[in-house]
Amino acid sequence: MNFDFSIIFKYLPFLLQGAGLTIELAVLGIAFGILIGLVAALLKISHTPLRYIAHFYIWLIRGTPLLVQLFLIYFGLPQLGIKLSAFASSVLGLGINSGAYLAEVFRGGIEAIPKGQTEASLSLGMGKFLTMRRIIFPQALRISIPSLGNQFIISLKDSSLCSVITMSELLQTSQRFASVTFGSLEFYTTAAVLYLLMTTVISALLHSLEWRLSKQTRTRGE
Amino acid sequence: MKLAHMPEKSIINFHSFPEKSMIAVNGLVKDFGKNRVIDGIDATVSTGEVVVLIGASGSGKSTFLRCLNGLETLTAGEIMIDGVPLERRSSNLKQIRRQVGMVFQQFNLFPHLTVLENIIEAPIHVLRQEKSDAIRVAQELLSKVGLYDKQSCYPGTLSGGQGQRVAIARALAMHPKIMLFDEPTSALDPELVGEVLTVMKQLAEDGMTMVVVTHEMSFAREVADRVIFIDEGRIVEEGSPVQIFGSPQEKRTKAFLSRLSH
Repeated sequence: MNFDFSIIFKYLPFLLQGAGLTIELAVLGIAFGILIGLVAALLKISHTPLRYIAHFYIWLIRGTPLLVQLFLIYFGLPQLGIKLSAFASSVLGLGINSGAYLAEVFRGGIEAIPKGQTEASLSLGMGKFLTMRRIIFPQALRISIPSLGNQFIISLKDSSLCSVITMSELLQTSQRFASVTFGSLEFYTTAAVLYLLMTTVISALLHSLEWRLSKQTRTRGE
Repeated sequence: MKLAHMPEKSIINFHSFPEKSMIAVNGLVKDFGKNRVIDGIDATVSTGEVVVLIGASGSGKSTFLRCLNGLETLTAGEIMIDGVPLERRSSNLKQIRRQVGMVFQQFNLFPHLTVLENIIEAPIHVLRQEKSDAIRVAQELLSKVGLYDKQSCYPGTLSGGQGQRVAIARALAMHPKIMLFDEPTSALDPELVGEVLTVMKQLAEDGMTMVVVTHEMSFAREVADRVIFIDEGRIVEEGSPVQIFGSPQEKRTKAFLSRLSH
């Protein structure tokens, strides 16, 4: 047996810096994903031919690995004259990837709202758009929060794939020091612990958000 | 002047309806797929009149009501609300719906908004009222239905009777000319029916034009100016409550009423 975790302390600031980039990628990626997912969900439930675009997008993205998508964006697109930085490629990749899953999450949330809500809103003279924005979507979002949190956690972990398109996030930083110091066990264990810490904090935050929002809609006796 | 030159097509002539008619329905037909739910209904409702629709479930009375504010598309026929024809155009629909309040069996309050927010939502976003004005009106309405102290509650914390009274206040906040009630007490526990009917009676006394689908025959007897019995998508018989409940003429009306009393 041959390990010495004390070497970690010397490199910890660099690892934390990598973790910072991981969070940045995950947050920007999921934010972009929420935007795309929302548009795709609305297209999918619209009774216009545009819904086929949403179908196609979801089918394409869910059916191919994120790593392949990242390679195509970072290494493939330059051949078409579209050169994106590693950071932009990563955010774009994580965004369109999570967006495909979030589209289904939002669609499910919207469709779970009883039809009577729409009817009541329309009966008050509110238009379709206003009804969606003020009545349906706020309720659908609440239902979607657990799945949204789930996707956030997945995206945070998936951001480790961005290491192969030269992003110095947590995994790549760990890899670099692991090979220099021959301390694979120490550095990858530390990386795992840091990922676990981040996902635990996210779950806790989402849990409290969910609880706070449900306070309003909770019924008597609960 | 030769009247013979008038085109034959203008058989549907709304001018033939009484001047005061708030609702005018002409040759209404509604199909759900192959199923004909409303099979040719003509009716008018005068300003300030309270009309109660009775009939077995599946007779088409709720569908008829839902056609009046465009929640259902018409297969054939025409509807006029206060002289304005109901069309599919969304701008027309919105205009009509502002004037036609609707109360549902399941209340359909917005669960993510407080009682007060439920009521001011449409006045602020549709009528563009100032928030403070909308709140003042909402508070007045809540006092009227006896729920002033429930303003900041969420609908999930209300009893059924309270919820339905909030729903009535919400519809009234748009200052509608007509109120439609679709079985407003059917989802309530028996002991809570009274408080909702009291509010509706008050509304009728205030002169609101009302069309009510209900199984509460006592309400029909006491409050209705006219009772319409619908069966298989058609008006079988209509008249004053005394007429309909006291001496129904049609066999089907008698059969329906005798089933109720058992």
